[in-house]
Amino acid sequence: MTTLAIDGLGKTYADGTEALRDMHIMARSGEIVAILGGSGCGKTTLLRLTAGLDQPSAGVIAIDGRPIGGTHPAISAVFQEPRLLPWLTVGRNIAFGGRRIAKPERQRRVGDLLERIGLAGYGARWPKDLSGGQQQRVAIARALIGHPAILLLDEPFSALDAFTRASLHELLLALWQELRPTILVVTHDVDEAVFLADRVVVMRPRPGRVHEAMTIGLPRPRNKLTSEYDITRRNVLRAIDRSLAVDRATGSGFGTVSPWV
Amino acid sequence: MNWGNLRGWLTALAVPVALGVAWEVAVRTGIAPGRLMPPPSRLAHTAGALAASGELQTHVAATMTRVAIGFGIGAFAGTVIGMVTGASETARRLLDPSIQALRAIPSIAWVPIFILWLGIFETSKLALIALGVFFPVYLGMLSAIQGVDRKLVEVGRVFGFSGIGIMLRITWPAVLPTWIASLRSGLGLGFMFVVAAELMGASEGLGYLLLDGQQMGRADSILVAMIVFALLGKASDGVLVALTRPLLRWQDTVRSRL
Ligand SMILES: Nc1ncnc2c1ncn2[C@@H]1O[C@H](COP(=O)(O)OP(=O)(O)OP(=O)(O)O)[C@@H](O)[C@H]1O
Ligand SMILES: [Mg+2]
Repeated sequence: MTTLAIDGLGKTYADGTEALRDMHIMARSGEIVAILGGSGCGKTTLLRLTAGLDQPSAGVIAIDGRPIGGTHPAISAVFQEPRLLPWLTVGRNIAFGGRRIAKPERQRRVGDLLERIGLAGYGARWPKDLSGGQQQRVAIARALIGHPAILLLDEPFSALDAFTRASLHELLLALWQELRPTILVVTHDVDEAVFLADRVVVMRPRPGRVHEAMTIGLPRPRNKLTSEYDITRRNVLRAIDRSLAVDRATGSGFGTVSPWV
Repeated sequence: MNWGNLRGWLTALAVPVALGVAWEVAVRTGIAPGRLMPPPSRLAHTAGALAASGELQTHVAATMTRVAIGFGIGAFAGTVIGMVTGASETARRLLDPSIQALRAIPSIAWVPIFILWLGIFETSKLALIALGVFFPVYLGMLSAIQGVDRKLVEVGRVFGFSGIGIMLRITWPAVLPTWIASLRSGLGLGFMFVVAAELMGASEGLGYLLLDGQQMGRADSILVAMIVFALLGKASDGVLVALTRPLLRWQDTVRSRL
């Protein structure tokens, strides 16, 4: 079982932009942690560093206490866009995520996953023939075929409509229940965070850092229509408010809120 | 072939056929002289005679061999060097400026020096054709590699590929469409330069047929050679497209209608 520890992480880009400063996040094995923050908070930066696609300027990322220096076989990702390889069929795109698995087993998992994501019979199609939501499902299957210990998701559903998003939430949770990866999911959708996560980390921008972390104690499967759900949601909204208040107080926000509203 | 397609063909053929018929009538009725501008029937007769004597086949074979070898060399060199300069920043800084400078020389201007260096026989002809093919293929390959979507490369990295693996699984398929397009324009230039090469002196080839026709005042064999050039160029391009089509089935572009 796998714990992801992000410790004192900082990133300053070559142009001098300080995107992250002294980030601490601990995701325990099998836990879903949602990272919530506005645009430009450094959420994507955080995930890119964790995925090993970019090098941090400070701090360490460790899996079970062992620092990682780049991409890692235990870490898999779904990006904001599906990023399917257009020259591979849907089935082969899914298989692409499982290069370390023996071929027969890989084929079996591709078939399984196609069924799980509701695209059985689509294996031989080209990505261009799928809708956006279907493509994102394929991207999820590709990320899970290798049974990663850690799954990173960067606003994976933000481009989708509410119906598709809700069904993909269910799909993701079902697959999570089965495979139990540790999930780090970036979002700016409060509902998404409350529905999916065991813990929510609210970020604050310029430079990006943790403002507040809170545990979501709601039992699963979660029902969005209960008052507990509503209360939790409001708590998260309040945390976001507080992060903005700090922002205003320190004068680092985008202007101030007009007194008339 | 469906009806829309057939209509397209008929529409496209209407103007040339009408002109041909008009010219045929004009020459037959004595309104126009047919010596410098022979009518279609005369061209068909000349083509038939050239084919019957086996002359036409010899010329076509000679020209096609030159194009094939020159294209092969030029396309191979352009692909490899384009790949190297595309993949390595150092190689690009080192080589690309010189190649761009050479490209500024109109390719035909190489003819005299090629003849001095390589003689007037096959080698200098092949060199000229290869040179003409090289530049579009090189440029296509270089820009295709530089244009590979960084996001897809990241997908490869996240899923455990690096170096050669990324090259084979991401870069290569991503550059294929542009590479093939550059091969097509290279092939077109190959035909252009084979004419130049054969005009500079050859004992066989369609270019020779052109030159010979000019010297003998045979407008009909000149026109036959020109038409055969057009047919061969179009056919070779068609073969290239057909050979590469299976590689590009995944593409989501208008080319699928080609
Ligand atoms: N390659 C880069 N070079 C320089 N600055 C960058 C680079 N990538 C991101 N930044 C900057 O770092 C900051 C954080 O960017 P990041 O993309 O991580 O934000 P985000 O929280 O993912 O935003 P969004 O919600 O809009 O996706 C921004 O100010 C951005 O301009
Ligand atoms: Mg982002």
